[in-house]
Amino acid sequence: MDDFVFEFKDIWKIYDMGEVKVNALRGLDLKIKRGHYVVIMGPSGSGKSTFLQIMGCLDKPSRGEVHIDGINTSHMDETKLAAIRNKKIGFVFQSFNLLPKLSAQENCALPLVYSGIPRKKRMAVAKELLTRVGLGERIHHRPNQLSGGQQQRVAIARALTNDPPVVLADEPTGNLDSTSSVEILKILKDLHREGKTVIVVTHDPEIVNEGDTVVWIKDGMVEKVEVK
Amino acid sequence: MEILIETFRSLIANKTRTFLSMLGIIIGVMAMIAVVSIGEGSTRSITDQVSSLGSNVIMITPGFSGGSGGRSVTALSDILNVNDAQNIQELCPDVKSVSPLLQGNYSVSNDGNNANATVFAGNDKLMEILDLQLGSGRYLTGTDESEYAKNAIIGASIAENIFEDTNPIGKSILVTYSVGKNRVAIPFKIIGVLKQTGSKLMYNPDKMLIIPFSTAQARIFHNYGTISTILVSAKNSEVSASAKAQIQHLLYNKFEDEKKFSITSQDEILGTLSGITSVLNLFLGAIAGISLLVGGIGIMNIMLVSVSERTREIGIKKAIGATRRRILLEFLVESILITLIAGAIGILFGIGVSKIVEQIGKQYNLVPIVSWQSITIAFGFATMIGLFFGIYPASKASKLSPVEALRYE
Repeated sequence: MDDFVFEFKDIWKIYDMGEVKVNALRGLDLKIKRGHYVVIMGPSGSGKSTFLQIMGCLDKPSRGEVHIDGINTSHMDETKLAAIRNKKIGFVFQSFNLLPKLSAQENCALPLVYSGIPRKKRMAVAKELLTRVGLGERIHHRPNQLSGGQQQRVAIARALTNDPPVVLADEPTGNLDSTSSVEILKILKDLHREGKTVIVVTHDPEIVNEGDTVVWIKDGMVEKVEVK
Repeated sequence: MEILIETFRSLIANKTRTFLSMLGIIIGVMAMIAVVSIGEGSTRSITDQVSSLGSNVIMITPGFSGGSGGRSVTALSDILNVNDAQNIQELCPDVKSVSPLLQGNYSVSNDGNNANATVFAGNDKLMEILDLQLGSGRYLTGTDESEYAKNAIIGASIAENIFEDTNPIGKSILVTYSVGKNRVAIPFKIIGVLKQTGSKLMYNPDKMLIIPFSTAQARIFHNYGTISTILVSAKNSEVSASAKAQIQHLLYNKFEDEKKFSITSQDEILGTLSGITSVLNLFLGAIAGISLLVGGIGIMNIMLVSVSERTREIGIKKAIGATRRRILLEFLVESILITLIAGAIGILFGIGVSKIVEQIGKQYNLVPIVSWQSITIAFGFATMIGLFFGIYPASKASKLSPVEALRYE
């Protein structure tokens, strides 16, 4: 039997906008194998973002089952979902989402605060990870003292601090120039090589070639899965 | 502990905002401590003044007549006389000393120097009952009384005004009053000078002229046995109430109407006055408490602003694994920390204000008393307010959906 890191069974997401009900996801089925590099493509309005939020446990589906790393999360409460987000998923956002008042090292160490790791250990882990993404010299810089590419590297390091099985990236190069984009994509590729499951959600066709699997989403459903 | 350090840093990073949110609590705590300490100080000052009136003093005065059916109220005269004083002394076991009292304002002079004096005429127990001390000279004795001696003891400011730097003892002083168109001046020999005391609640010993009762009756008041007041001292404070009851019983037997006389003890004056001051203190304390409450609402405002300002931050924290409880705690700790620091500053300022009032109030015998209770109450109240007004913003922050919060710009 295959080892799946994500299993989505008949996922529906319905937004109740008063008089109108919007079906963002309409019975989406998808399984993602461990260790794959998956690119999820789709035009805006396809339900791609909603799917990403459900994948990242930021939101719950209206109907359907989600299994993450073998755990059924469909009926979990907010506190348990927070733990899943903390331990199982490393988030990388389009707009980096670093806390402006914390240094790179503190930003990077933040997920460990929520898993109750003592400060000394946290800082050591954060320093090591920042060195790995090439920011060993800049651990005390604040986000506004770093370039976009560097900020995104801090964000990737932060995503890795709890050593999650999945790195989930939402348009990771969307706010970057082409040089920085290349750097970030290289880091993601390296992570994949080291055995992480990398999922990138994008509408940028140039990233399609990065992954070994491409999932096309349209009208709240999986249109096709392309395995290379 | 982690949260505490982190919160502390963010407070320092936002100095102006932190200060503004603290201001209300600082002022509230300061006002509360200042008001309570000034209140306690003034209560103490009033208590002191009342107890300086004498030792366990009971005053007997005539009652009032009339007042109903359009008649005006007048104090009864010719009610109390010297025999009543005598009877009280002999028949009331808990009474220590009794003195009849005649009192009036007269002009006194020596060698062209004038002053207005309050003439107090009583027997040799008068000064003991009123707890008046001699600065120099001798007390009035039973002999002065029986011999109708024209001897007098004068207050400190009379001595100063009339005799300036010279020693008044042995000198003479003229007490002047008018009968019809004639002015009568009676010379008295000064045998003693009172210690300076400052003004007391009902009289000022510094402006007194104390003379024997017999002399005053015959020479100045011409009242032939009736008196306006009988002063009594109880044996000690425990029997003060029973002494009062004994006097009451005695006088009721004579007058058969309790409205014809009134008996007031020092304890009752104290009770009435401290009742008034404690109501006042409560009232002022409540106003200070309200300002503390307003300060708390100020903190809630700032915290609510801070929640919406930091919506995105909350979203990020939630996305990387912060639980609701954690976010709640972060905001709650922040508001409590703000109130604690503000409370501490408020206490210092409050003590400062009390010290300033102490400097100004010295001349009115007002010394504010900063008590541990007032500090504890103000601080505890402030902390509770921080907690109470922190809960709403904190719970609002913790309930934000991560999706919504991340989308917030």
